[in-house]
Amino acid sequence: MHLIQRYKLDSIILPLGAILVCCLLWYVIAGKSVITEKIDDFGDKVKVTRRAGLSADLPTPVETWTASKLYITEPFAKRGELDQGILRFTWMSLVLVVQGYFIALVIGTPIGFCLGLSKKFATAFDPIIQVLRPVSPLAWLPLGMILFSGVKIVNGDGRTTFGASDAAALFTIAICAMWPTVMNTAVGVRAVPQDYLNVAKVLKLSRSKTLWKVLVPATLPYMFTGFRLSLGIAWLVIVAVEMLTGRPGVGGFLWQQYNANSYAHIILCILTIGVVGYILDRLMSVVESRFKTA
Amino acid sequence: MPLIEIKGASKGYGLPGSRTEVLKNINLSVEEGEFVVIVGYSGSGKSTLINLLSGLVKPDTGTALIEGKVITEPGPDRGLVFQNYSLLPWLTVEENIALAVDEVFKEWTPEQRKEHIAKHIAMVKLSHAAQKLPKELSGGMRQRVSVARTLAMNPKVLLMDEPLSALDALTRAQLQDEISEIWMSNKTTVIWITNDPDEAILVADKVIPLLPTSPATLGETMIVDIERPRDRKAINHDPKFKKLRAELISTLLDAKGRNKVKSSVQISLPDILPEDLTYTNSLQFLNRTGPKRRSDNKREEVEVAA
Repeated sequence: MHLIQRYKLDSIILPLGAILVCCLLWYVIAGKSVITEKIDDFGDKVKVTRRAGLSADLPTPVETWTASKLYITEPFAKRGELDQGILRFTWMSLVLVVQGYFIALVIGTPIGFCLGLSKKFATAFDPIIQVLRPVSPLAWLPLGMILFSGVKIVNGDGRTTFGASDAAALFTIAICAMWPTVMNTAVGVRAVPQDYLNVAKVLKLSRSKTLWKVLVPATLPYMFTGFRLSLGIAWLVIVAVEMLTGRPGVGGFLWQQYNANSYAHIILCILTIGVVGYILDRLMSVVESRFKTA
Repeated sequence: MPLIEIKGASKGYGLPGSRTEVLKNINLSVEEGEFVVIVGYSGSGKSTLINLLSGLVKPDTGTALIEGKVITEPGPDRGLVFQNYSLLPWLTVEENIALAVDEVFKEWTPEQRKEHIAKHIAMVKLSHAAQKLPKELSGGMRQRVSVARTLAMNPKVLLMDEPLSALDALTRAQLQDEISEIWMSNKTTVIWITNDPDEAILVADKVIPLLPTSPATLGETMIVDIERPRDRKAINHDPKFKKLRAELISTLLDAKGRNKVKSSVQISLPDILPEDLTYTNSLQFLNRTGPKRRSDNKREEVEVAA
């Protein structure tokens, strides 16, 4: 009984307390509506609403909730291209992220293997990788637009289903999310114990058998760490990509609501992005722990 | 013709300047069906020696031969049992052995291979654990899997690199007996490396000490003519065993003693000339030089523990 109480205190009450403190801080900083009455030039009494506070335009937690309620209670509603339920937006973003993420894995894993296996390859490509790695998604997107300016897939009705901006979006997500997979795979391949390689040598395993039976299984735990970090970055990049391309999605919605001065929705989007990112990370770490070998 | 031999081999590691020679002038020849044990101190180059035979290491000078052919790379004709088992942790016992069998007997039918694998698992008494992963097995069981994997390749010679060093004393004794039994039934040539003189005499036909000179060299071969099967309890009172053991241990210890490094050290003895205080009442004390230190250097030979 004592243990359960302790457990509850530590893992539920403490985080709840921290959230409460943050909300309080938010409330203090946020602007409040102040209604004053004044007599106008015609001698009539009018009510004037004015925002006041440390950050006058920031909505309070309660205002944020009232403004966002519709999006949360009807998460799959579609009222217009940029006015949809929050989960519907999240789903769109996720689809894009997953596509880009898979491209990143498909390209990144073999590059990581090459880097780990060949000292020469690593020496040759290390400077390029180190230079490209810290480049922001905001910088990659315009390049993607130029690279894929000719891409246009049109469906039966003459509407473009996959255009330059879609290709650029995928390109950006893939190239930004690729690096953790590349680096971790390379490190993993280097960390394969010499004993396993000696076994392969003594048994005279063929190259492909050594790769699939020894190297890949021995590298899997490292690869999955890379995959998890990559997914995190892919999700990070999505907002920037959607902002710049104007695609519907969580990030696009965020930018559009900023332009429409409905600030409460920005906070809704930020929280959604955070929660989804957290869930994705948890899911990946469950998968990752499955592949931990002794 | 000996089955496997090493002629005048030497091996060192490192670049010129900081190079350490590990083995020098190694000559070894093993006939078919012999059980040879090489005993030496830890870190004296035993693993390097067996890796010359397995082909994982190439000698700097001299050659290693199997059936008269030069050994250039590892091959399934020389089965190597590793000190740390080296089982692939993501494969079950059966799959680990199958990895070897499938590679060596490509021309066999799947049924033949399966039977061959099962036979070897049964030989090391692990039939009940065939579907287990290495992490579910004890150290002794893992090493038995490793032995089975190696034997399943039907090697001409079985190379064992300190196969039992990582095991506790009781498991070790049990496995020594089991491996001796397996050897008696199939008479494969065995080259076994160990750091335990008792183990060496208990299992071997021939014991060769690896002398811890720097670089290491092989000592004189000792023939162990004690009848098999050897009873581990009775053998302790066997005069032959006692004599061999004493001889082997003294050979190894003597070589170690001879090998002590001597180095000469310069020692400065304290020898201080006191300050001359006679001038304290004159201005000359400004020129004082303080107590004088005369160095008395002495050279001395000091023995350094290797």
